[in-house]
Amino acid sequence: MTGLQTEGRVSDGTLLEVADLKTHFRTERGLVRAVDGVTFTLERGKALGVVGESGSGKTVLSRSIMGLLPSNAVLRGSVKFAGQEVLGLDSKQMRHLWGREMSMVFQNPMVSLNPLMRIGKQIIEPLQIHLGMDNTDAKATAERLLRDVRIPEPEKRLKQYPHELSGGMRQRVMIAIALACGPTLLFADEPTTALDVTVQAQILELIAEQRKDRNMSVILVTHDLGVVAGHTDEIAVMYGGRLVEKAPTKTLFANMKMPYTMSLMRSIPKIEDPSHTRLLTIPGRPPDLVHPPKGCRFAPRCAYARDKCRVDDPPLVTAETADHVYACWYPVGSPEFQERDVEVLVQLGQTANAS
Amino acid sequence: MNYWLQRLGMAVLLLLAVSALTFGSMNVLGDPLFNILGPIANDRENPRNLVLIEAAEAEYNLDKPLPERYVRWLGGFVTGDLGVQFSSDGQPPVSELIKERLPRSFTLLVMAQILAAGMSIPWALWSASRANSLIDRSSTLMTFLVIALPTFALGVILKFIFAIKLGWFPQRYIAGDPTFTHLRQLFLPALTIALPSAAIYQRLLRTDLITTLQEDFILMARSKGVSRRNVLFKHALRPSLFSFVTVFGINTGALIGGSLISEGIFGVPGLGGAIVEAVAREDFPVVLAIVMIIAATFVLVNLAVDIVYSIIDPRVRR
Amino acid sequence: MSEVKVLDQEVATESEPDAAEPRRLGLLFWISIGWIVSISLAAALAPWLPLKDPDNNFLIRGDRPPYSPSGTHWFGADQDARDVFSRTIYGARISLIVGFVAIAFGMIVGGTLGIIAGYFRGWWDRIVTFCFTVLLSFPSLVLAILITTLMDRSLVTISLTLGFLAIAPVGRLARATTIQYADREFVVAARTMGAKHPRIIVRELLPNVVIPMGALALLGMAVAIVAEGGLAFLGLSVQDGESWGKLILLGSGTRELENAPWIAFAPILILFLTVVAFNFAGDKLRAHFDVKEIAL
Repeated sequence: MTGLQTEGRVSDGTLLEVADLKTHFRTERGLVRAVDGVTFTLERGKALGVVGESGSGKTVLSRSIMGLLPSNAVLRGSVKFAGQEVLGLDSKQMRHLWGREMSMVFQNPMVSLNPLMRIGKQIIEPLQIHLGMDNTDAKATAERLLRDVRIPEPEKRLKQYPHELSGGMRQRVMIAIALACGPTLLFADEPTTALDVTVQAQILELIAEQRKDRNMSVILVTHDLGVVAGHTDEIAVMYGGRLVEKAPTKTLFANMKMPYTMSLMRSIPKIEDPSHTRLLTIPGRPPDLVHPPKGCRFAPRCAYARDKCRVDDPPLVTAETADHVYACWYPVGSPEFQERDVEVLVQLGQTANAS
Repeated sequence: MNYWLQRLGMAVLLLLAVSALTFGSMNVLGDPLFNILGPIANDRENPRNLVLIEAAEAEYNLDKPLPERYVRWLGGFVTGDLGVQFSSDGQPPVSELIKERLPRSFTLLVMAQILAAGMSIPWALWSASRANSLIDRSSTLMTFLVIALPTFALGVILKFIFAIKLGWFPQRYIAGDPTFTHLRQLFLPALTIALPSAAIYQRLLRTDLITTLQEDFILMARSKGVSRRNVLFKHALRPSLFSFVTVFGINTGALIGGSLISEGIFGVPGLGGAIVEAVAREDFPVVLAIVMIIAATFVLVNLAVDIVYSIIDPRVRR
Repeated sequence: MSEVKVLDQEVATESEPDAAEPRRLGLLFWISIGWIVSISLAAALAPWLPLKDPDNNFLIRGDRPPYSPSGTHWFGADQDARDVFSRTIYGARISLIVGFVAIAFGMIVGGTLGIIAGYFRGWWDRIVTFCFTVLLSFPSLVLAILITTLMDRSLVTISLTLGFLAIAPVGRLARATTIQYADREFVVAARTMGAKHPRIIVRELLPNVVIPMGALALLGMAVAIVAEGGLAFLGLSVQDGESWGKLILLGSGTRELENAPWIAFAPILILFLTVVAFNFAGDKLRAHFDVKEIAL
């Protein structure tokens, strides 16, 4: 996959190429390796789900690509956006991309809108900065955007303040702002975590629909495999600052290789489960990113880990299909995995009965 | 609406309490008759003096019981009659004295607050946008030192440097000069009380700005492509103004105190001089009038602070 | 990348240096305490120190005073040829006594009221809190002017007047801190074990209230010293004897500033250093024990 050296809008081809990206933070405790060598590419118009627990580096990854990091961050590797290297650009240069080419929907709509600025003003802002619209045009566009994201009575909303809107409405406003200048890449960082379950689905649907209408690429960051299942083309699973598995969505769900991916999977509540079924959580804590464990970073919490896992770092290898990669010595389905799985399932059964 | 009525009621109640307290303590602890008549005030044995005493008592209502005198005074006060001075001739009336002196003190106070706000806001924005750099740390140290400098010491230092050594500003206020000259003459006394306040405001606003700059909506604004400058001015400043506005109001009390001293150093014939002289003469009507003006200013400024709140934050509008 | 550093979480690291070493007060704190101790000792022992008589006129034949600073007169001599250095040291006596007595008075009265209000709550608390609010709604200098003129202007009256002004801020802090501790396990435990109120207050609460009060006392000393200076500038401070404020006032006339600025600037310098030392020590102590900011 080679980067397309194009400036204009092309309907397909590679939009984003991330190669060996490392984002480290200098802190009092030492160097925090929040993202530690991540490589992937994203096609135009496609949606990538980045999944992991908190502390897996997924949020830092998306902010690193956008260049929205504090000054104690040290970035290495390469991020090519539409063929152009953007890593290391200062914020004056990045500003022309922010909002215009790539924009972001933040996790918590309650605190991500300026509480003291009218909704209209907040939508109009990027239109005036990037597209040089005058007030009348910008207002008309803002109204249309609100209509696009299904907000009733848009003219009235433009004059309101964020606190006058519900959480779901606010997240719609955030999406409208992010879409305002027609970006080619949209980051959605846990866009539904702070919302009601019923609203979650609507928001995800809205993002998916806008992606198709606008032929925009989306990076959907979440801790919830269930969220990305129906709304992405590909899924990348992160753990301890690294990519541990990546595959087309269908392939991943059908044939996951990493025990970590499997644990994430098991932690999704299923509708067919009887109510009050105990959810399976992954024991232990995410790894210390200042002093990551030797070998596989998931090994200390992995029920299937063997001695080799605690010594040697597993490389990313290709599975049955070329677009499916994973990093595991004893992947799901291997004889060593099977052998251990019997014991694990027995244990699970016991704890389930005990409760 | 109900809320504002309640606030207004509280303000009036506070003013009543202040006036009653001042009126009471002045009358109980002081000896007004002595100030009007001099030594003969205590000589009731002598019939000739007694006539004078009774005449004075009648004229100044000193023969009435304390509560009645208070009510009479209050009635006069709200109608703008501040009474007569307790001096042998009672001239000029208190309201004349106030009319002459109040504008000077008022100008001084307003000028000081404008200077303080005008210095502290850009300074805080500048500091907060480079928080924790060496230059920000030195500016924080500077605020610490300025706050530690008493008004009178700062006044003497400013007078020495800018009026005496450099000669940029006049050393004294001259009552007969035209208005514009007065502004120049009031600059140094205003700066004297403004500098420590500016330092206080700067520290407060800087801290709040730093907190605001960590909010998600700031990151959101940046992700829209808003320039660094506009992030500071259009997004971060307004949400950071709350403590600033509160302290701006509370600090008015301290500024009034400071202005009494600053007026003295630069020879501004304002309320500061008037109250010191009046207290020395135990001239109640003058003291009362000035205390009430000060208290009213204080109360009004804090009421204004509440109104400003609702302007900067739509969430507190009722 | 210098731009990025400007705005955002990176400032979150600000509080970390403090958090990293919470147990250290730092060199500057000890320098401040050192200065406070030295100036207090110098003031207390002034008559026995090898100082020039502050009231003596050291006239030099053929040379009219004031004299500029020299080996004989370190801070110069004033209009009456009196030694400015020794006058400044003697001035510390009055300034520091006023500050100390005022704060001690404010601490005892305000602290007692505040602790009792915070411990027993109820109507007593409401009355005390209301009184504090009324006191705080007066501009303090105006109140000080009123009291000092109605009373006399002895050292004791001035000190107690300033102490009276300290009651409300001290009381509020004491009350707030007491409330904070009154519901803690060890207090509740003591109560359930049948300890009497006075015992709980003295044994359990007082030790916890003392630390934030100590920080406030240091800050309050600075405020009281400055307030006395302010009164002196209005001609309302201690009648006999010269505090720093009065010394500065005497040197601040236009003629004195033009010819002999050292008369005013020597006491300004010493006063400033003392106020900075008290402020700094108080601030450090407060930060050290994480006392909430209370406006004086």
